[in-house]
Amino acid sequence: MHGFFFLQLLTGLATAAQLFLLAAGLTVIFGVTRVVNFAHGSLYMLGAYLGYSLITRAPPTPVGFALGALATAAIVAALGAALEIGLLRRLYRAPDLFQLLATFAVALMAEDLTQRVWGAEDLALPRPGFLAAAVRIGAARFPLYDLVLIGLGPAVYLALLALFRTTRWGVLVRAATADRDMLACLGVDQRWLFTGVFALGAGLAGLGGALGLPDATATLQMGFSSVTDAFVVVVVGGLGSLSGAALASLLIGLLQAFGIALVPRSTLVLVFVVMAVALVLRPHGLLGRVPDETGRAAMPDLIRPATPALRALALAALLAALALPFVAGPFLLSVATEALIALLFAASLHLMMGPGGMASFGHAAWFGLGAYGAALAALALRAPLPLALVMGMLLAGAVAALFGLVVVRLAGVYLAMLTLAFAQIVWAGAMQFGEISGGDNGLLGVWPPRWLGGPVGFYFLALALCVGGALVLRRALQAPFGYALRGARDAPQRAAAIGLDITRLRWAAFTLAGAAAGLAGALFAFAKGSVFPTYLGLGRSVDALLMVLLGGIGTMSGPFVGAVVYTGLYDALLLATDAWRLVLGAAIVAMVLLFPQGIAGAAARRVRA
Amino acid sequence: MLEVERLCSFYGRAQILHDVGFAIAPGSVAVLLGRNGAGKSTVLKSLIGLVPPRAGRIRFQTADIAGLPPHRIARAGIGYVPEERRVFADLTVAENLETGRHPPRPGLAPWTQARLFALFPALAELRRRPAGRMSGGEQQMLAIARTLMGNPRLVLLDEPGEGLAPLMLRQIEQAVRALRDEGVSLLIAEQGPAFARAVADQVLVMEKGAIVWSGSQAALAADAPARQRYLAP
Amino acid sequence: MTLLAAERLARCFGGVAALRDVSFAVAAGEVVALIGPNGAGKSTCFNLLSGQLRPSAGRIRLDGRDITGLDPASICRRGVGRSFQITATFASMTVRENVQLALLAHHRQIWRFWRPAAAVFRAEAEALLAELGMAAEADRAAAVLAYGDLKRLELAVALAGAPRLLLMDEPTAGMAPGERGALMALIRRLAGERGLGVLFTEHDMDAVFATADRILVLARGVLIAAGRPADIRADAEVQRVYLGVEA
Repeated sequence: MHGFFFLQLLTGLATAAQLFLLAAGLTVIFGVTRVVNFAHGSLYMLGAYLGYSLITRAPPTPVGFALGALATAAIVAALGAALEIGLLRRLYRAPDLFQLLATFAVALMAEDLTQRVWGAEDLALPRPGFLAAAVRIGAARFPLYDLVLIGLGPAVYLALLALFRTTRWGVLVRAATADRDMLACLGVDQRWLFTGVFALGAGLAGLGGALGLPDATATLQMGFSSVTDAFVVVVVGGLGSLSGAALASLLIGLLQAFGIALVPRSTLVLVFVVMAVALVLRPHGLLGRVPDETGRAAMPDLIRPATPALRALALAALLAALALPFVAGPFLLSVATEALIALLFAASLHLMMGPGGMASFGHAAWFGLGAYGAALAALALRAPLPLALVMGMLLAGAVAALFGLVVVRLAGVYLAMLTLAFAQIVWAGAMQFGEISGGDNGLLGVWPPRWLGGPVGFYFLALALCVGGALVLRRALQAPFGYALRGARDAPQRAAAIGLDITRLRWAAFTLAGAAAGLAGALFAFAKGSVFPTYLGLGRSVDALLMVLLGGIGTMSGPFVGAVVYTGLYDALLLATDAWRLVLGAAIVAMVLLFPQGIAGAAARRVRA
Repeated sequence: MLEVERLCSFYGRAQILHDVGFAIAPGSVAVLLGRNGAGKSTVLKSLIGLVPPRAGRIRFQTADIAGLPPHRIARAGIGYVPEERRVFADLTVAENLETGRHPPRPGLAPWTQARLFALFPALAELRRRPAGRMSGGEQQMLAIARTLMGNPRLVLLDEPGEGLAPLMLRQIEQAVRALRDEGVSLLIAEQGPAFARAVADQVLVMEKGAIVWSGSQAALAADAPARQRYLAP
Repeated sequence: MTLLAAERLARCFGGVAALRDVSFAVAAGEVVALIGPNGAGKSTCFNLLSGQLRPSAGRIRLDGRDITGLDPASICRRGVGRSFQITATFASMTVRENVQLALLAHHRQIWRFWRPAAAVFRAEAEALLAELGMAAEADRAAAVLAYGDLKRLELAVALAGAPRLLLMDEPTAGMAPGERGALMALIRRLAGERGLGVLFTEHDMDAVFATADRILVLARGVLIAAGRPADIRADAEVQRVYLGVEA
């Protein structure tokens, strides 16, 4: 028992060291620049791939390995500096959502480019003797390399502390973390400082990626999976706090080690519980400070009733949608069905993010829960279609209501990161609990009943439920509830002073949005005849985000326009090119730089001007 | 040294400064007086670039600095000590001083930590203490010393006496005199005339975002109606 | 008739007393100014009255009923409206919708999901705007109003809650000098017509002396004088605090 405890302790410490290497750069970058770098995981992934190339070319000795890892860190640092100068420098004054989106686009492009350079196969580092060596601990053997990692984590932490404590550069970075404007008044040019910090953070990510190679393979998925881990560590530790990241890494690493050993498969739940408990007790993380939110949010747009021209356009679109099955072939009809489902999904996120003012990067959680709920109801309980749809919607709504209790008091980046982390945890849960969810193979055979009349009948069902659902949400936004929600977003202090209960309003919006997304997911399950963990994945969350931002957050018709344009664009891209991630990423970057108000938003401004 | 013409500044859509104009001669001390809310802090923030003016000119030495970012204005030779002091709480006294350091300027004796500790002896003993664990008066000294590390030709002091005990106030006063003797110009914003009486070469009185009276310290002392009108409640 | 009574209010922040033993009263229909140098404790006093802060000691009564330590929303529902120093209106709405939302909140009609809000309390909102001389602005976006109009809209939003006591933090800050007199005259008139008690802080002494029935002077957390404008002007202690000299 004693030996077991010690072994798990060591395993936990090694995990903690890797988590720290991954998260340290993210928190340092955020502390100084206030940018949440979604591409951090991609830099980590690049570290792994570059590290693979360099280390396999170096002599198979400890020195060769170390030099390879250091060279990797240097190259990734240079890439980070280029990213800062080329893109982020233009976005420091933009709302933080756009920074997240732009760095997300970079992550998409990085994944595509990495695949082009290194191929789609996972890369495993050959294990020469010094990497395969192990030490005996009691009856068990523990990898020597993990012992080295246990030493390296604290060593890097101390080196960073020394850098920040003893060098002029480090002193300036700490000063900038505390009060950027005052530092500027003392004559310090922040651009130079920011580039340096970005390079440092990127270099740490690259180092982490290379050092992780002996324990794991380099995969294309690690960009997005590692950024989630990094977010959890940084949110729990407190955004911008290096010591907080160290503490949180330790906490989560040990918890995972003992959790796996004592209750197999409990780790996901454990991580989420740690996160929830930490944030309920300390909403800004273990060692975090209350963020300074002045002047970041964009000025909200005035919302006007639809003009007669817009109503006529909407009516024409509805008539066209009704006529579509009589002219379209099966492929176009299935694309149209997906577009309708996307419409409801986007409208639900718009309710939350636009009028609700709550950014979500994990909206797929509700979509996927709705899909799994409906599929399980249909398969396991033999529920008929209408009941299965309702059960999917209720499951998503109920979980959103519970999760909302914890998070709706948070704002901005914290909320965005937490929703993302939650969605990733649900996704991992779907992968892990295969006997319920079917794991990677998913749940198959979820078909609509025969009486519905095949794809055409299902199309009309989707048309009724999705357009109807989106219009119900729109109606709620025009009712007193929607006004109060917008009031709480526009001027929270004033809203409280006229007696509005902001927390309850936001919670209601969160729950409503979750339920509506759940209905969309339930329909999607029946449209596809199957449910896979990808329904819960980051990609789907980002689809919703792009539809809403493409349409424009500050308009009521935004999600309608965005969903149709995006679905069309996406399918066209998939057909036209295999480089869709690259093209999509570049398109997002262009959109963020050119149209910060979205398409419908830009059109509305043009009309008003 | 500094010439300000028809300066207009806003917070959002609220106009705070209306056509402010004045000039400061090299090596002299000007004091901005006025009740709170008169716009004194905004004048200083406009000069350092924290609140970029929407209209007007600010000529410092030979260059027009209106609209430049704060770090360029600071490097041109203007130091700013805000009302809240804004010392970096987690950094030690020595580290705070380091954040302000810039190369010497021709014609001015360069400031070093040693010279600043001579000017503010209290700071020398606190060298390794985090600024967040110092008293208000000590923080004020540190904020001034930190600015001096950049060897400015003009120092903007916002309410340096705010909330300080009389003894501390006297030390700050002495420091201001010492600075003037070094050839540094100062612009000091104050609510009460205490500082003005001690050090001012020139007094500027503000009300509702405009300069409504200017002249010497003696002239203000003699002008009872003006004091009653602009400074009394 | 006494509307608001503050009795021996005190508030400490980490052992430092920001407000000590402050007592005063505001009657219905009375306009009272609270002045004092920076750091005198005006904001602390306001935040205690509106519920943003809890007092360390003392009582606050509204119409004789104890409201000490209630949260802002409860205090609002008992008839205390407030305006903020930095304007905070609902920027995604028109002027009329701003007032409509305040009316909806006051009448507890927020949790309705179907009937369009544009039709609810429309006439009431327009009547209130007309009373403040803003009828012509009803359809404009709150975000593009001139600053003086924005201040009047804030007042309309506060009045929509049918308050009996209005707390105004620097109502004229940031306004052009010409607009200030008009706003203060409006407040004066409303106090008379509605029997509204008004307590306001202000830096513009012209506005204070022209508008207030009585003036309270705070310095370093202590109430050093209270009285009619003429008495305050003549008060030696007030002169000393403001001028630092014996006047």
